[in-house]
Amino acid sequence: MTVGIMQRDPATTEFFDGTARGELLIRRCADCGHHSAPRCETCPACGSAALDRVPAKGTGTIASWTLVHGRPPRDGGPAPVTAVVVVELDEGPWLHSQVITDAPQEVRTGFRVAVDFERPEGGEAIPVFRLAPDAVSA
Amino acid sequence: MNDTSGAGSRRPVIAGLGLTEMGKVYGRSPAEFAADAVRRAAQDAGLRLSDIDGLLFSNGVGGGVGLTLQRELGLRDLRMLSEVQAYGSTAGAMVQYASMAVQSGMVDTVACVFADAPLREKGSAGAVYSSGLKFTGWQLLDFASGLSGANPMYALAARRHMDTYGTTSEQFAHIAVAQRAWAAKNPLAQMREPITVEDHQNSRMISDPFRLLDCCLVSNGGAAVIVTSADRAADLRQPAVHVLGWGQAHPGYEMGRGTDFGLVSGAATAGPAAMKMAGVGPADIDIAEIYDCYTYTVLITLEDYGFCAKGEGGAFVSSGVLGPEGSFPLNTGGGELSSYYMWGMTPLSEAVIQARGQGGERQVAKNDLVLVSGNGGVLDHHSTLVLSPHPHS
Ligand SMILES: [Zn+2]
Repeated sequence: MTVGIMQRDPATTEFFDGTARGELLIRRCADCGHHSAPRCETCPACGSAALDRVPAKGTGTIASWTLVHGRPPRDGGPAPVTAVVVVELDEGPWLHSQVITDAPQEVRTGFRVAVDFERPEGGEAIPVFRLAPDAVSA
Repeated sequence: MNDTSGAGSRRPVIAGLGLTEMGKVYGRSPAEFAADAVRRAAQDAGLRLSDIDGLLFSNGVGGGVGLTLQRELGLRDLRMLSEVQAYGSTAGAMVQYASMAVQSGMVDTVACVFADAPLREKGSAGAVYSSGLKFTGWQLLDFASGLSGANPMYALAARRHMDTYGTTSEQFAHIAVAQRAWAAKNPLAQMREPITVEDHQNSRMISDPFRLLDCCLVSNGGAAVIVTSADRAADLRQPAVHVLGWGQAHPGYEMGRGTDFGLVSGAATAGPAAMKMAGVGPADIDIAEIYDCYTYTVLITLEDYGFCAKGEGGAFVSSGVLGPEGSFPLNTGGGELSSYYMWGMTPLSEAVIQARGQGGERQVAKNDLVLVSGNGGVLDHHSTLVLSPHPHS
């Protein structure tokens, strides 16, 4: 399992309607245009509560990363390693997520990524990221 | 404040310290640990429980301490009673609120207590994660996305510091090694076997860059302090520890482009505020007891307090100044990394011990000014105290 099973609540309903459609909805201030994270309720730039939900382009840059080392499976074999990241979306907001890749050890700050969605059975679609073809930006 | 006239008699001091058995202590609830800690703190101060007229308490992850603590202790006619919660900054915050209440005349003697028993629960957060439970709400979206608890969150902060300033894992190691050397001299410490930088580098990777020896312990137990006025403390059992200055900071980082997350913490504002109130600066501090959920937390806090320049924390901690033989007494009991994990009570309790001159083998000779930090959330909440065996000059 790469992601957990999420169930929607009133605060996350629109967001998960978006992920179900393959859209990453972020907030955009109706007053000043500032983009903020999906969970924002108040514009960090101007204090407005009038925040629309708009689809992000879905591309961004890794702002920080960690490799989470799981426990080795009981039947032996290597311990699972997950590349957990902060993605700075091109619109500006940060998202905590993971990079789905065969080579998590190679993930680095500055790499370009694009959103994808994991759709676990019985749960909402969860945004994850994949390295862009031109992942290593200038 | 810090008035040398009649009001000076109401200047706040810490007059009692109570530490329960800590560590892998099973079969006791957080409420029982809390009551035990308050009893011990009162006894330490030479007070009867009936002398306490204010009670502030705080919970760890296990919860379980509530307003009924008053009844469990048989405390009557309290003039202040409240839960305080700002995660790892809470212990410092409780001392601050108690100090202000004492100064105002609202109360005379306040017990501030923290207790937690996370180890009683079978299964860690990771076990919950893999158990097929369903999550809901924004907070758990992070968890469902792979951020399994505090380790990766702080690792992301530390990585940012490393990327920006060139800080290294070996530099983090020097903090762990120095604190273990202090812990070896602390009979209260849970981990007293000396370690080396090499041991640190060979310890199991938890959440890169954090290895096992970058991460704090987990402990069951309780810790309490008694805050009262300098006047009241004059005829009590222990030497008074004066609370000369304090501050808090809760940055509320915007998690987006341009944020200081991982680079600058609330210590950068709470520290100068506390030191200004005390009329001192970083160069005057004799002993630093710094909240250390991770080695990295110590490093960024030292920078933000001004013990070294921003970005030079790595060079500072690996320059040989740390440890019992060094010139910069830091986390002299071993801290949360090596002694015991009582959230902000860990640095606070060791600060009280050092300010009293009761550190035994680990006592620092010059103890006129002791700085204490608390840090909670993921660098979201910060508290600072400046303590001294002497009243404000
Ligand atoms: Zn706005």
